Amino acid sequence: MTREKLQSLSLVLIGVIAFGLPLLVRSPTYLHILVLLFLYAYLTTSWNLVGGFAGVLPLGHSTFVGIGAYTSTVLALQYGVSPWIGMIIGGGLAVIVGVLIGLPTFKMRGAYFALATIAFAEGIRVMVENIEYLGPFKLNGPRGLQIPPLNTGLANFMFAEKEPYYYIILVMLIAVLALTYFISRSKLGYYLSAGGEEPEAAMALGVNVARCKLIAMAMSSFLTALAGTFWAQFTLFIHPKSVMSLDISFEIAFIALIGGRGSIAGPVLGAIILRPVSDLCRIYFGDKLPGLHLIIFGVLLIVVMIFQPRGLQEPLTKLYNRFLDRFAAQPDRIR
Amino acid sequence: MAFLEVRNIEVFYGDVQVIFDLSLHVEEGEVVSIIGGNGAGKSTLLRSISGLVPPAKGEILFEGVPIHKAPPEAIVERGLVQVPEGRRLFTLMSVKDNLIVGAYNSRADRVKEKTIEAVYELLPRLRERESQLAMTLSGGEQQMVAIGRGLMAKPKLLMLDEPSLGLAPLLSKNIFETVRKIADQGTTVVLVEQDVMHSLSISERGYVLEQGRTVMEGPAKELLDDPHIKTAYLGI
Repeated sequence: MTREKLQSLSLVLIGVIAFGLPLLVRSPTYLHILVLLFLYAYLTTSWNLVGGFAGVLPLGHSTFVGIGAYTSTVLALQYGVSPWIGMIIGGGLAVIVGVLIGLPTFKMRGAYFALATIAFAEGIRVMVENIEYLGPFKLNGPRGLQIPPLNTGLANFMFAEKEPYYYIILVMLIAVLALTYFISRSKLGYYLSAGGEEPEAAMALGVNVARCKLIAMAMSSFLTALAGTFWAQFTLFIHPKSVMSLDISFEIAFIALIGGRGSIAGPVLGAIILRPVSDLCRIYFGDKLPGLHLIIFGVLLIVVMIFQPRGLQEPLTKLYNRFLDRFAAQPDRIR
Repeated sequence: MAFLEVRNIEVFYGDVQVIFDLSLHVEEGEVVSIIGGNGAGKSTLLRSISGLVPPAKGEILFEGVPIHKAPPEAIVERGLVQVPEGRRLFTLMSVKDNLIVGAYNSRADRVKEKTIEAVYELLPRLRERESQLAMTLSGGEQQMVAIGRGLMAKPKLLMLDEPSLGLAPLLSKNIFETVRKIADQGTTVVLVEQDVMHSLSISERGYVLEQGRTVMEGPAKELLDDPHIKTAYLGI
């Protein structure tokens, strides 16, 4: 078997396992954990377009989750618009907000950029918390919005069981992974990493670094907002503390940094490692030690940054390549 | 009308003035050296011409068109390309990908494949190394990538900022020969250097900068024989 064949076979195998998992995992609790795992893998992959490829550290992506969640929910509750359509509108709105935030903040470097994005995200959250009605739209301030689970079905993006959510987020994740793979090999991907590493040199070559970053930001905001709608439909209840909280932004950054930002596998690996920690801590220590998972994340982050500064994807990719070599090369040698 | 004309520019970093009332001109097809010690404002001058630090006062004209208010990408689009000091490669990309990023502007993008061949012709070492990560190259090879990357942008005027920096004498001689070759193939070159002897010997004319001002200008041969230059820069 050639190396390429083995590689695609292992990818297909992972796909089959992912699609078959709900047949084995019958417990709704564990299925719920898996859905959140994929959701965070999706969010981090979207974040990675800016935070990984463009070499900056945005910490305000919770805003876009919130925009997606609120837009589709408000449109569904007040105007009966299907959340699938609301999802796209929310994405469009997030693009506008993302570009407006990016225009001033991309001029800043390092920690200043990260802090500025936090400021925007928190500012928007506090605003939503204090707005009952935004024009004709009812946001309901800190009490949030509840989606009555009346008409379940695909058209309404609402289901009684966990399985449909599982498959929807899985498909979304695969799509966004394919998109990142494509972008990382496109010219935009080159320009982004060039501008991230040596902005001055890239600019001296005429690369419009600011515009490339804005394009990445627009795509990232759009994709993140889609996940917001998914979140709203999955939990059927949103409020500013849940879908706009900084915790989301931080968890995304943790997952990316520990998994390996700027790589394609990194966000998925990070989510596989961190999400179960987070959920199991909540299940078993939620009452006695709330926030324990964040302490564990912090320790993990320090250890990973010391020993594997490019994230856990690096040693794992090496391992995977060695595995491919061992099982692919030998038959060739015999022949 | 000069090819590139800098008229009485003043450049600041914040409150600190680095360049004072500086003028110079470059004719098409020339190699012009800009020499001077550390902190004389040489790199700032280049960064100012390429739009990275726009001048506070004065004008810069390229082929008769004012460019001192244009953004860097518009200036590159016109054919004025800078190879920044210290190489500044994209270290995690392969040599070839580094070159491809150079062909960002629309003029260069269209003829990318042809230019890459021409660059490999000029710098054969890069063809051997094309799939290697830029960070794994030696200093001299990295400088070649930086120059090649600049050429990929199809410059009419190429500005090189200290291409010999940190290179062994033999390698730096190599780089200067390459620069001369680039000029002979029809690209105008502005060369900023601390290696006064070598850079003047491949140039038509030179400017001497001290503390942000031009203190001397003239044909390269005359500058090489000048007593002030001999004592201050050549140590003879």
